[in-house]
Amino acid sequence: MDGATFLARVAEYRADGWRLAIINTTSILPAEGMEHGAFDISWSFARDGALEHLREQVLPGEEVPSISASFGAAFLYENEMRELFGVNVTGMALDLKGQLYKTATIVPFAPSAIRARLDAMAKKA
Amino acid sequence: MANPFSLPMVGRSLRNLVSRPATRRYPGEARPHFAGTRGTIEFDVDTCVFCGLCVRRCPTVALACSREDRSFAIEQLRCIACGVCVDLCNKDSLHMSMETPRVQIHAGAAPGDPRPGHQEWHQAQPAAGGPPGPGDPAGGVAAAAT
Amino acid sequence: MKRTVVPMGPQHPVLPEPLVLDLVLEDEKVVDAIPTIGYVHRGLEALVERVEYTEFGYVVERICGICSFMHGMGYAVAMEKIMAVEVPERASWLRLIWAEMSRIHSHLLWLGLGADAFGFENLFMHCWRTREAVLDIFEKTTGGRIIFSVNKIGGVRRDMADTELAAIVDTLQQLGAGFAETARIFETDPSIRHRLAGVGVLSREDAHAVDAVGPMARASGIRLDTRLTGTHLYDRLEFEPVLETAGDCLARVVVRVREIGQSIDLIRQAVERMPKAEGAPIEVKVRGLPTGETFERLEQPRGEVIYYIKANGTKYLERFRARTPTFANIPAMIRLVKGCDLADVPNIIMTIDPCISCTER
Repeated sequence: MDGATFLARVAEYRADGWRLAIINTTSILPAEGMEHGAFDISWSFARDGALEHLREQVLPGEEVPSISASFGAAFLYENEMRELFGVNVTGMALDLKGQLYKTATIVPFAPSAIRARLDAMAKKA
Repeated sequence: MANPFSLPMVGRSLRNLVSRPATRRYPGEARPHFAGTRGTIEFDVDTCVFCGLCVRRCPTVALACSREDRSFAIEQLRCIACGVCVDLCNKDSLHMSMETPRVQIHAGAAPGDPRPGHQEWHQAQPAAGGPPGPGDPAGGVAAAAT
Repeated sequence: MKRTVVPMGPQHPVLPEPLVLDLVLEDEKVVDAIPTIGYVHRGLEALVERVEYTEFGYVVERICGICSFMHGMGYAVAMEKIMAVEVPERASWLRLIWAEMSRIHSHLLWLGLGADAFGFENLFMHCWRTREAVLDIFEKTTGGRIIFSVNKIGGVRRDMADTELAAIVDTLQQLGAGFAETARIFETDPSIRHRLAGVGVLSREDAHAVDAVGPMARASGIRLDTRLTGTHLYDRLEFEPVLETAGDCLARVVVRVREIGQSIDLIRQAVERMPKAEGAPIEVKVRGLPTGETFERLEQPRGEVIYYIKANGTKYLERFRARTPTFANIPAMIRLVKGCDLADVPNIIMTIDPCISCTER
């Protein structure tokens, strides 16, 4: 879905009293048609006993809008997404500019980095 | 200024002054261990059949065994004392003991070495005049190799 | 007014775990705080690529020493959901008992550290001495004081005899009675009240706005507790979360003190209600490889933890994610630190019960 619809859905969740539970990113390895892989991002909201998700598959480089306008606490998840995975998140409330974890490898969980590690392991075996 | 005698901690503190310490003078006094405490892995090479099941299931790859050489090694520095090998062994060759682990670094270990631990090799009596096992047996537990 | 920047951390006598806060001060008031974490980032989530799913439980329980059991339990429960494994009831009851004991030990640890943070070292020693009784129970029943290694996919690895459970309930009730005096000190001592009352007030609306979880939210009056969802046998117990309305540091201390008593009661209820079937199976054999994904939620001592596991049919998982409660409470901490006095900063940092090693994995 496009950015405006997505932000509208998120704002609806906020207005209905849902709480941001987790923003999770999974890397999808490079494959046919996706030379650089993709990211499977899920925004999960919780209220009482229920947990609902908004799932999007995003290509590397595609802009992902920050949901800080509705959920101020999202900046930690979004900084982590950008620093560990390389997701292009724009408009974060508090932008730590890649200094959150200070990993030795840049974007260690990006699809290409994971592919490289798995190949290295397979070669050693 | 609060009335010091209404401070709830005063009674406790006065009692502490006259009671014995809550801590032990370790290592002079040691606390006895409980029966199920997980500690070091002890190995009995005479009962082992070198099936390699424990080696495959060890989460940190701390064990190694060689069926041809009839030898078995534990790297105590890698062992996390989870007890999976003890539970798995069909011959009960492995058991947990509360001895302090004989953790040693091997002579050639350099900083950044991913496996600095010394492998403690145990050599079973060769079945019929077979070759002695690799590595240097560590103190105490290795059976004599002929 | 001139501003000074005081960097606090990563090593600081009051901090239990490394965290850097660059405090921007005007005189003694904190005007802004810029957080930096990353000192204990070990990239444990990348280990899914090289540690098989059967052994990954041992990695997960080593994410943190305080919340160790719940991490192991969360991983096992999530994998059981993916692999559609039904664990024996006794295993679930044992896990609940260990989880509540884990909560007691964690709250006692925190109360000690919190007391140390506001200078009351004597109370710190008392809390930790009380905690030794719980650690001894852990050592007797699981073999380890901090890392239990007792969860596996399909159940638990050790059983607790019914007599042992009765003895545990007795020990814990004695602990509770002995701790009542220390609890009274936390709630009524004038010096503690002077340090903590009215400090770091998080109103109910603010707590909603920053999505606080756990005792942070409960001390501001929000009835939020994952145990209310009734999963993992909590629906068989009578349980009402401890709530306070003041939202200040003292309220958070009081919530945790009362949760200790509540956990002791939950364990007593569990031991009464669990089926007296000694010798009942405590694990099932798990076959095959996992495929699928799941979200699993548990109530750790610090709040709600969410595990996300994705498996693709091989023996290595594709993704493991633990969103720990401190991760969710850090925005609340930053919100509270701005505007407080410099001397209150340690209290406010401690009040979220920071477990930075969980946050960073």
